[in-house]
Amino acid sequence: MFSQLNIRHRFEGRMWFFQVSMFVLLLILLLRMVHLQLLQHDGLMLQAENNRLNIVPILPTRGTITDRFGIGLAVNHISYRLTMIPERIENMDALITQLTSMMQWTPKQVKRIKKRIKRSRKDRPVLLHDKLTWKQIAPLSARLHRFPGLNVQAGTHRFYPYKELTSHLIGYLSLARNTDLERGFLRNEYIGRSGLERSFEKRLHGTLGSQQEEVDAHGRRIAVLHQTPSSMGEDIRLSLNVELQKVAAKVMGKRTGAVVVMDIHSGEVLTLLSTPGIDTNQFTLGLEQKQWQAWLNDDQRPLLNRTTQAAYPPASTWKLVASFAGLRQNVPLANGSTQCKGFIQLADRKMRCWKRRGHQKVNMHNAIMHSCDVYFYELGDQLGMQHLSDEAKLWGFGEATGVPLPPESRGHLASDMQHLQNGRERHWSRGQNMITAIGQGQTTVTPLQMARFAAAIANGGDILRPHLEIGKAPEIIRHVDVKPEYLKRIQKSMYDVANKIGGTAFYRLRHAAWKIAGKTGTAQVISMSQDDDDKKDKAPEIDKHKDHAWFMGYAPYKNPKVAFAIIVEHGGHGGSAAGPIAKAMVKLLAAQEKKQ
Amino acid sequence: MIFVIQRMDKTIILSLLGLLTLSLFVLYAAVHDGDIAVFQKQVIFWCLGFIGFIGICFVPLRLMGLLAWPAYIIALLSLALVPLIGDVHMGARRWLDLGVVAFQPSEMMKWALMLMLAHWFASREPNTWPNFLIPLLMVMLPAALIVIQPDLGTTLVLLFAAIAMLIASGFAWRWIFAAIAASPLVLYILWHNMHGYQKQRVLTFLDPQSDPLGAGYHVIQSSIAIGSGGFWGKGYLQGTQGRLHFLPEQHTDFIFAILAEEGGLITVTVLLVLYGILISRMLTIAAHAHSRFGALLTTGIASIFMLYAFVNIGMVSGILPVVGVPLPFISYGGSALLTMLGALAIVMRVAIESRGNIPWQRPSSPLS
Repeated sequence: MFSQLNIRHRFEGRMWFFQVSMFVLLLILLLRMVHLQLLQHDGLMLQAENNRLNIVPILPTRGTITDRFGIGLAVNHISYRLTMIPERIENMDALITQLTSMMQWTPKQVKRIKKRIKRSRKDRPVLLHDKLTWKQIAPLSARLHRFPGLNVQAGTHRFYPYKELTSHLIGYLSLARNTDLERGFLRNEYIGRSGLERSFEKRLHGTLGSQQEEVDAHGRRIAVLHQTPSSMGEDIRLSLNVELQKVAAKVMGKRTGAVVVMDIHSGEVLTLLSTPGIDTNQFTLGLEQKQWQAWLNDDQRPLLNRTTQAAYPPASTWKLVASFAGLRQNVPLANGSTQCKGFIQLADRKMRCWKRRGHQKVNMHNAIMHSCDVYFYELGDQLGMQHLSDEAKLWGFGEATGVPLPPESRGHLASDMQHLQNGRERHWSRGQNMITAIGQGQTTVTPLQMARFAAAIANGGDILRPHLEIGKAPEIIRHVDVKPEYLKRIQKSMYDVANKIGGTAFYRLRHAAWKIAGKTGTAQVISMSQDDDDKKDKAPEIDKHKDHAWFMGYAPYKNPKVAFAIIVEHGGHGGSAAGPIAKAMVKLLAAQEKKQ
Repeated sequence: MIFVIQRMDKTIILSLLGLLTLSLFVLYAAVHDGDIAVFQKQVIFWCLGFIGFIGICFVPLRLMGLLAWPAYIIALLSLALVPLIGDVHMGARRWLDLGVVAFQPSEMMKWALMLMLAHWFASREPNTWPNFLIPLLMVMLPAALIVIQPDLGTTLVLLFAAIAMLIASGFAWRWIFAAIAASPLVLYILWHNMHGYQKQRVLTFLDPQSDPLGAGYHVIQSSIAIGSGGFWGKGYLQGTQGRLHFLPEQHTDFIFAILAEEGGLITVTVLLVLYGILISRMLTIAAHAHSRFGALLTTGIASIFMLYAFVNIGMVSGILPVVGVPLPFISYGGSALLTMLGALAIVMRVAIESRGNIPWQRPSSPLS
């Protein structure tokens, strides 16, 4: 065959070419292997480990909140949650369609879920549906192996048994937001947003655990390699007496207002009621935007915690502050008396007492008991704005009480000088001083400040920091120096308000279970003028033109235990609107004490 | 009988046994916690393959030459039938169902074409126009039929093997370069005839990170498997990429990733050396073959082995696009193994007939 020698030679030469080519190709492959297996080994090893290992967070159980007797106010209910790791899903749309029919999602829910998936990291679990009952999840749970990337976890969700009653105090939770993610929270963790849930967030939250799992390419768990359990958050027992709060709310009814009761020695808050409240369970159940808007736009402002965030004119309760100021400054009227003719003439202005016929001869004791305006007009005139404001500051007004429920209003005290719009200052007019002394004017206070004031009168002048944890050591912010006999005089006057014929709260409180010492107040709603009377009947339930009713005080008169402040918005007269709430609460407290 | 067996080439036998050992170990690793029947089937295929191997060693080479034209024409006809009656599988029409067995005419064509070209050049002068253009037509006709299936990988293997035959048959380099220079034109026509998914494959090859969860996923995962193996490997049956199913088709086209992950660079080197010994030995046999037909046929078979190994390892390690090419003797697959063993048996027959010519062999025994 190989007739021509040169062809054979050429062929042998070509075979060497093939040998060299083969060697080159194998060398290319070997170099590529060296590149991957030696040079890139560390990085690729890490990627292989990342493929294989899945760190699953174990959410901690949130601590519970109970009242002073152990009644649950914020508790955990067992429920199931459906999560998904998006990058493990092959056909997202098909899966969503399938789940929609299985879980009976509404189009709105589907839209929200899709949005959440879109915004989330693709390699972390995304919450699809929360708070499922076993009945809801059972059909899916049985077929879960057919849905790689889906996971059902048993967990708990927050439940507030008392709903509206404790909504402002306890607050609510919501899912972590972007800012929380930066702080290291996971997207499916719940975080306290208001009230104590927010203030005690760190203690209640607990610490995250984790589980290291080996997973296959479909995200199925092959083995659990390592587990760090989560630790539960702290259970917190409050000083709150939820039965007392319930009684207060019952008497308050549908009216808006606030009730604060605190222990006069320890500063423990027993009741912190603001009405109307909201059903905070709706936050954890997935609040509808519509409901949130409705709360925001509600005239009654249900989101407002009136005990700490709302500041009201103190009205006649302020006469106690004016009295202390008068005694401290030793102005003539403090130890003297005046004639009340039903009004006082100030230049061309006629300043009226609430009692048109007048109280006739009044000293400080009578003036407090009958809440005579004229006496305090004159006292205020003698004191001046500065002394009134200074005294109020001593008793803890114009400053935050420091209760762990931010944000807290400080209220407002008139400054020494009047600031005019043109930037200049001038002394307050005599009329302004007079008005301020009876608690109208510019002054505003919160119900909690008022309760703390009442507690200080009862305990001999200790201004306490109100707190909510049972057994916590009392914290005295300052002691108000006031002569014991003066204090006694004021206390006696307050006692007579409720227990002596003619006292402004006598008819409502004379049969109270404990002897109550207190002071009524009827705050004029600023927009109201005397001529508006004909409009009064338009809204029979809540009359927006009626005065705010105050009642503050303490009980029992001898050996006092609790102090309280009650405000009923548009309630009318302090004694008749707010008094019954005090009476009902005292009745319960007396009964509870007897039981123990 | 003894005559034939005694004259068998020891180097080829030893490297084949080495590949067999590697193959069984790796295949077991790839399927041990899944479909173990795959492993058992492959053992049976090896047994059948060895029986066939020995059988073919007894077939005189002259007979092979006679088979060239009929085999080529049958392969061409069945290729032409594919677009008409072929089975659609994964979006491509490649299979022909004969009732008893289904086979891929394109697979058959590769070997038939090698046979045909070897036969053609065995008795013809290179460097003449008719002897250049007629074989070119023989190549382009099946290549066109395969590319419309579409099967990009097989087409490229076919074209490269044809060029190898041109080189082997002694054409002057200018003829060969002319043929290669025409390839941009071929590439252009190829690109226009490609389906969307094929274009996607090529584009993904150019930048696998562009679609990490789509088409590039497989290559990224196999690169991770290979790289994570390191020098010594993760240990036998200790690979995680394969066991946890991050690798696609881990017992067929991507089996190299398992070998590299569990066996490391050291085992990879062993595999490459085995291929090197086998192919180098085939080329040595070709260089010293008694007949020009045998020499050319051996060269063609050696080229196809080399191309398969290079394209497969290249694609698994991310330097070549993903085309469905098995790793010779290692990947699972009965027909591929049987045809390759058959082809190797033909090379063995060439060696047997050329004995005495081939260096590094003991002189014939007295019996011969």
